[in-house]
Amino acid sequence: MRLIPEKVGAWLLATGPESDVVISSRVRFARNLVDVPFPVRMKPDEEERVLETVRWVLKEAGYLKEGLFWENGLLNEPEGFYFVERHLASQDFVVGKRKKGLFASSDETLSLMINEEDHLRFQALASGLDFATAFQKVAAMDEKLEGQLAYAFSNDLGFLTTCPSNVGTGMRASVLLHLPGLVLTQEIEKVLRGVYSIGLLIRGMYGEGSETRGNLFQISNKRTLGQSETEIIDVLTGVCRQMIEYEYKAREYLMHHLRVEIEDKVFRALGTLRGARIISTEEATELLTTVRLGVTLGIINELKLSEVSQLLILIRPANLQVLLGEKLDEAERDERRATLIRQKLVR
Amino acid sequence: MKLCDFCGKNPATVLVKVLDKEGNAVEIMVCAECGKKRGLSGVEKTAPKKEEADSRQPTADSRNFTCPSCGMSFSEFKRRGRLGCANCYNTFEKELQQLIRRIHGSIRHTGKTPNKGRKKAQERLELQRLRAELDAAIKEEDYERAAAIRDLLRETGNEVDT
Repeated sequence: MRLIPEKVGAWLLATGPESDVVISSRVRFARNLVDVPFPVRMKPDEEERVLETVRWVLKEAGYLKEGLFWENGLLNEPEGFYFVERHLASQDFVVGKRKKGLFASSDETLSLMINEEDHLRFQALASGLDFATAFQKVAAMDEKLEGQLAYAFSNDLGFLTTCPSNVGTGMRASVLLHLPGLVLTQEIEKVLRGVYSIGLLIRGMYGEGSETRGNLFQISNKRTLGQSETEIIDVLTGVCRQMIEYEYKAREYLMHHLRVEIEDKVFRALGTLRGARIISTEEATELLTTVRLGVTLGIINELKLSEVSQLLILIRPANLQVLLGEKLDEAERDERRATLIRQKLVR
Repeated sequence: MKLCDFCGKNPATVLVKVLDKEGNAVEIMVCAECGKKRGLSGVEKTAPKKEEADSRQPTADSRNFTCPSCGMSFSEFKRRGRLGCANCYNTFEKELQQLIRRIHGSIRHTGKTPNKGRKKAQERLELQRLRAELDAAIKEEDYERAAAIRDLLRETGNEVDT
């Protein structure tokens, strides 16, 4: 049950294509077993059976050697939010009362939830705009699992999910974009409306129910039936490339016409982060993404994108407490967060 | 106040079981008059359940169906947005098709299929559906239908203890 909080997922290291705008790409599959009721109707002994069966299959397929597996206890509130903050589990999963299990590869690019809304929800995360890597990983897992498990599948409707809005491919593909240029030039509304009109979803950094903060936007497909996985990904990639272009144009404009204003904004953010004694998660997130803009524009040269991205995770409430090895209330966290940030940003 | 499923005029006070067009057992609520007229006998209910009160749909529909595998009814699904099991997709096929077409603009899957398990997956789903139907037939004391299903299961090599 080891946690290694200092090390964040490899997908955050800004090594992928278009990392200046695209933080990460994600592909998630939802699957259910055919001879057990869906999670909403499972009895405790059935929950246990699914948990044990899937854990066994993961072991047989060799996954447990490459990562870690957790059950129940550590996955519940409040400790479980550690995994939510790292994008390895959903809020529903942690808050839910069922017996549950979570697998994550050691680099946190591949993870699987047992007994969330569906029996199995597994995902792969890749740095930058890179659906190829993410899809390959999650499809490989799908193939290994379905060899040993009896999936609920119908020729007409595809993979059967608890919620009909996921039926068919059971796939949600998404990208996390950093769009400060479009926000500052006030074109973001227009661009997002265009995205809506194609039938894609836009959410904040933590998916359903999260606010858009720090100019971070998550774009994903809405439909899961009637299109193949490849078609869904192609559409999303196309939209992404357009948005990257718009974002670059916006940043170019800002650097040409409002350079000193941008520099002022960026260095004030850095200054506050380096000087503050008390800082909330929300404020720190906003400031860090402004600093991120500074790095991508070449205004700030002493920091790497990966360092900024790492901090975005480490400052979050549960991760902060695990990192420091202490339980802290909000006021204490705000103080210790500021200390951590000053330590990390010192030069 | 729920109105009679037949005349739509009088308050429904009797719960009866009838067979619909497909030969499935359905529960409907009728007024004492219609019940007597059609020679239906059922359970007298003085206070109709709140969930069954839907005066916009006077004819019997699968709102009153429950999935024989997991017990979920379509109205419960509509309330919670979650289905109870794979067999619900069989039980509520027509209504779900409407809903799915509305959400996805399609009702045909064109993506990945389980490579090794595709035929098996289809078979398993069908098997689950038959088993659930067998349970339902027995519960309703429709032993003829139960025997027919049991024979079918036997043919396909899937024995069932009853």
